[in-house]
Formats: sequence, structure tokens, C-alpha cells
Amino acid sequence: MKRSAASLPLSYRLAVVSRSLAALLGGYLLASLVSVCLALLLPLPQVDATLTGLMLSFVFYLLAFIWCFACRSALRAWLGVLLPSLVLGLIGGFAHWMKNP
Amino acid sequence: MKEGFRQAMAWLHTWTGLIFGWLLFAIFLTGTLSYFKEEVSHWAQPEIRRHTLDPVTSLGLAQRYLERNAAHSDSWMIRLPSERDAALNVGWRDPEGGRRGFVRKDLDAQSGQPVDARDSRGGEFFYRFHFELQMPYPWGRWLSTLCAFIMLLGLVTGIITHKKIFKEFFTFRPGKGQRSWLDGHNAIGVLVLPFHLMISYSSLVLFMYMVMPASIMASYGNTNGYFNDLFGRDEAPKAAHVATPLVPLASLHAKVQALVPGARVGLIQVQSAGDRNARVIFTQSSADNVPYKRSANWTFDGATGELLKQGAPESAALMTSFSFAGLHMGNYAGPWLRWLYFAFGLAGTAVIGTGLVMWLGKRQLKHARSERLPGELRLVEVLNIASMSGLVLAVAGFFWANRLLPVALHGRADWEVNTFFLVWLASLLHAVLRPGRRAWGEQLAMGALAFALLPLLNALSTGQGLNVSVPAGDWAMAGFDLTALACGLFLAWAASKMLRPPKPVAKRAAKAAKVSAKMVEVQ
Amino acid sequence: MLSIALIGFAGFAALCLAMEKHFNELLKHKPRPAQLHALRVGGWLLLILSLVLSVHWRGWAHGLVEWAALLMAGVTLWVFGLPYMPRALLGLAAASLVLGPLLAVVAG
Repeated sequence: MKRSAASLPLSYRLAVVSRSLAALLGGYLLASLVSVCLALLLPLPQVDATLTGLMLSFVFYLLAFIWCFACRSALRAWLGVLLPSLVLGLIGGFAHWMKNP
Repeated sequence: MKEGFRQAMAWLHTWTGLIFGWLLFAIFLTGTLSYFKEEVSHWAQPEIRRHTLDPVTSLGLAQRYLERNAAHSDSWMIRLPSERDAALNVGWRDPEGGRRGFVRKDLDAQSGQPVDARDSRGGEFFYRFHFELQMPYPWGRWLSTLCAFIMLLGLVTGIITHKKIFKEFFTFRPGKGQRSWLDGHNAIGVLVLPFHLMISYSSLVLFMYMVMPASIMASYGNTNGYFNDLFGRDEAPKAAHVATPLVPLASLHAKVQALVPGARVGLIQVQSAGDRNARVIFTQSSADNVPYKRSANWTFDGATGELLKQGAPESAALMTSFSFAGLHMGNYAGPWLRWLYFAFGLAGTAVIGTGLVMWLGKRQLKHARSERLPGELRLVEVLNIASMSGLVLAVAGFFWANRLLPVALHGRADWEVNTFFLVWLASLLHAVLRPGRRAWGEQLAMGALAFALLPLLNALSTGQGLNVSVPAGDWAMAGFDLTALACGLFLAWAASKMLRPPKPVAKRAAKAAKVSAKMVEVQ
Repeated sequence: MLSIALIGFAGFAALCLAMEKHFNELLKHKPRPAQLHALRVGGWLLLILSLVLSVHWRGWAHGLVEWAALLMAGVTLWVFGLPYMPRALLGLAAASLVLGPLLAVVAG
């Protein structure tokens, strides 16, 4: 950081907060939905599919976190976690409905 | 954030490292101590005597004790003594008494009598602290798991940021100020990376059912179904209220030995003892296998002694998750591997510690000429000191309290814990009141004294000092004293470095400028 | 397990020397490319050998874990010891190169 803390503009600070929330909350949402889809769609016995979903979720949380700080704007951070979450939510919801009609 | 990917990751690494570093340091240090929690407990409760292991006799004694004292309870458990844990531990469900409705007692493995040991949580305190953080359930677990995730993030962002990870794989250049700290931080991170990654990821796996419940909810609707499938549990049959004596547990032990020769038994659970529908479950010791094995569970009919079922074989997914858990816990590790676990845990602690020191050090250089640090840097300095040297002092304080508090004092176990936190708090106050470098030096020096004198304190207060424990071959007791001495020596060395006057500011600033210039060139 | 540790240690020492900068510093003369190449190949072969032996003797679970632990310990000792006692470590590496396989043959 070349400038001292005092001189960082408010817009910068807000962007950081926004990205952090996208990472923490949006990332968690994304990771959870990945694990749900894996648990419902993997062609394994229920407990094994659930376990796999659980274990792999953290990889996606990590990737989401990295995305939120690597992408070019806070808006992209949110889009990058919310859009896939929407898609996964739909897939997961459909899979759940198929299993429990 | 408009800078390159690597720089964004460096930013993320630095800031998450700072914010979570203090807590992570505490988690790693107490977690590292936990690898020797049985040995620490042995030192903390020297009244529990070790005997040659005799599982058959111990089982008989445990059964007799429980039949006499816990006949009213429908759920018993027995933990046999092991090479590392001398006590024969029994427990039973009693809604009236005990912590959370469960009573536990340590029995002497030879006589079967309850041990009259000083009340102390021993190594279990550090073990629980590192994932519960002394916070009410379940908040501590959530926080520590979040910290584990941030550690994983720190490792990954660190790898991405470390451009010369291969070129500088073998590089460590001491005596060069900030450059050396960075070399050390990188080296300890990279060379022990498999361990750091394993420890962080496995921490997440251990509590994944709690922190990522969505998949369980979506596929099972509740956790019971999930856990039943996972562990292959069947509903225990309700008591028939027909009194039938429980078979001698030793006979069941023999059956397990016939099935798996040489198996060490970790846990024995008895449900509805003394009833026709009694069930006895033998679980193989976690010391025998790296992953927990649900197939290493045998359920017997408690009235007839017939083997009813063995745990189902594990699938790949199960083996994977249980391996993560097993690797984290390290129960399977023999002596030399356990020491390596301890060393690697300290390495992880050092990664975090060096990171915190560097975060401040780099920014302090800019203020080398001014009288005082700006507020936020002073805050970091105080927190660095309290969370590192202060924590070490608190650990020593726990052990001093263990030896000095009267054995008969009511609630002494809680007072040992209180001492830990009081010393920690005192170190925070000390760090606020004293100038940075002096605070470091003074706390490290106090820590050095506190640890180095522990063996003497032990000898004087219990008569089981090194002069007794070494000839007797009590290596847990002796090992603790010797490790405390080694800690004392290390802390004394560190204190000496901090108590020496620092190189004159002008020279340091000039050197730092040269080093920074070189670093810019090199990148 | 000692032989695993020694072979692994020698392997990492070789891989370190396979880097021109370290070769120069430690052995005090300029390396020929062929030497660096040989050290690199030799180093990797030693690491793989230690892995194979470990798994062969202790099975996949214990074997993999103990191999990883011993190698991490060895390379850490090498890197942090090097600035302080380079000649001792070079000597230890050379001794490991001989003792490691020897112990493996004797034990196995």
C-alpha cells in the first residue's frame, strides 16, 4: 500500500467491505449450494454423496473467496458468487424435488 | 485491487493474516500442546500411577465398579489404559450428576479403586481450548472453524504470492533483518506445507457437519439419519426389564482378540447392563489405524455374549473423511512420529508468528524516526506481544497453578484455568504499559524463568522430579520436565535478543532501504 | 524408518545441489550442466526410492504418512542448518547416501 491509511478514500474502503461480504457470505452460499448439488446428484450411496459434497464444499468456498478479491470490481465479486449460486440453487432445487415428489 | 492477481492475493494474505493471526497463533500453540495431552495430564495428575498394561484385568475391575456403582444407569462406557494414558476411565449416564448428565471416574488400573488425584483438566484443557476457545457451545467451534478456513486461505494465497517458491525452496538467509524473517516465514511454510495443508483442511472436515449442514439437510432432512448411515448405528433395543447378568466383558475382549489378533481396544460401551437386551460395543483403539474405522466396531449381546454385528466396511468417501480426521488427531502416531507432529505444529505456529512480526516490522520501519507509533500500529504491537509471549506465559501460569494450588481446594481445576486467563490478561496490560521491545524482552524473560523452573517446582512439590522420573523410566513425566527446560532455554535466547539494544535507527533505516531496494529489483 | 529418513535427506540434498546457486555456494566451484542434471535426476530417484520403501514396509496409510513426515523433517533440518553448518550437513548427506540404502538392505 503506497498511500497511508489516513488517505484511503471512502469508496475504496466500501469496496473492500463489499468484497469481504461477498466472499464471506456469498462464498458460503455458493459452497453450500455446491455441496447440496453434489449430495443430490452424485451417483453414490446417499451417505457417500453427502460426504463428498461436504468435503469438497470448502474448495469452492476458497475459490469464491479468491475470486472476490481477484476480480476487477466489487460488483463483479457479487455477480461471480451470486449468479453461479442461482444456477446451482435451481439445479439443486430441481434435484431435491425429483427425489421427494 | 486493480493491480495484478498476485498483488491482490498478497493483499488478501496480509490482511486476513493480521486479523486472524492472533487467534490462529493461540489455536496452533494449544493444538500443538494437545499432541501430548495425555503426557501433560500425567504430569498434571501425578497421583495416577502407571502399571503394566493388562486389559483383561482392567476390564474386570471396570465392570465390577460399574455394576456396583452405576447399576441404575442404562449407558456405561469404559476406556482402558494405554501406553500413554495410565488411567482406567469409566463413565455412565446420570441425568442428576456430572457434566452434562455424564459422570466420569478414573480408576487405578491395578486395584480398581477410584484414584484420588488432584482435580485438574491437564492436557484436556489445551485440547478443548484449541477448538472451543473457552466460548459457549457452539460458538467457539464456529469461530475456530472459521479460523481454520482463513488459515487455509492464508496458505493458498501465500503459495500464489510466493513467486519464487521453487527457486527459493532451499533458501534461508539469517542475519539480514526483514529479509531473514521473510525467508524464515516462507521456508517454514513451504517445507512443511503438506502438514499445514493437512491440518487446516482436516480441521474443516472435523466440523463440516456443523458448519456446512446444507447438504445433510437437503439429502437427509436431519442429522440423525446422516450419522446413523455414517457410523452404521442401529437403534439400541429398549430394556426388556428382565434382569439378566452381564457376561464377563473379558470374555468378549477375548473374542475381539480372536477376530483381530493384537488389536488394542479403545472404548467399550454397554447399554442396558444387567438386562436381557443388554448390548456391548467394542471399538478398536484409534492408536491402531490412521483413519477411524467403523468396521473396527463389534456389537455383542450383553446377556449371551454372542457377536451380533461388526461395523460395515468403509466406502472410499468414508475412508477419505475419516483419514482426514485421523491424520489431524494423530492418535495412531508412535513416539517419534508424535514428536514430529509436535515439531510441525510448532512450525505452523511459527508461520503465523513470523507473519505477525513481519506485518508490524515492515510498517514500523517507516516510523523509525518518530517518537511513537501511530495508534493502529501500536494496537497491533500490543496484540502481537500479548498473543504470543503473553500466551506462552499463560501456559506456564497454568502449570505453576497446577503445582501450587492446594490439592484439596474445591474447584481447583477451574482455578488452574482461571490462572491461565488471568496471566494472559496481565500480559496484555503489561504490553500496554511498557514500550514494545522491552515488553517483548520482559515477557520472554519471565516465560523463560517460568518454564525453566518448572522441573524444580515439580521436584519440590511432588517428589517426582527428574531425579526420580528418569531412573524410574517414567518418560512422560521426565519428558514434560525436559521439554519445559528446553522451552525455557529457547525463551531465554529470544529474550536476550529483545533485551539487547536495537541497532541505531539511522543504520537500520539505511539497511532497510537497501534491502527494500534489492527486493524491488529482485522481483 | 531411519533408512527412509536418510535416503530422503540425501535426495533433498542432491536436489538442492542441483541448483547452480547452491552448488556454487556449497561446493565452491562452478558446476557443469551435466553435473546439475545428474544431481537432479539422482535426487528425485532417491526421493522416489524412499517412498517406495516406506509403502512397501508400512503399507499405504502408515507408509505415506511416515514418509511425508520424515522428509519434511529432513528438508527443514537441511534448509535451516545450511547457513550455520554447511560442511556438517554436506557430510551428513554423503553419509546418508551410503548408510540409507545399506540400512534398508540390512533391515529389509
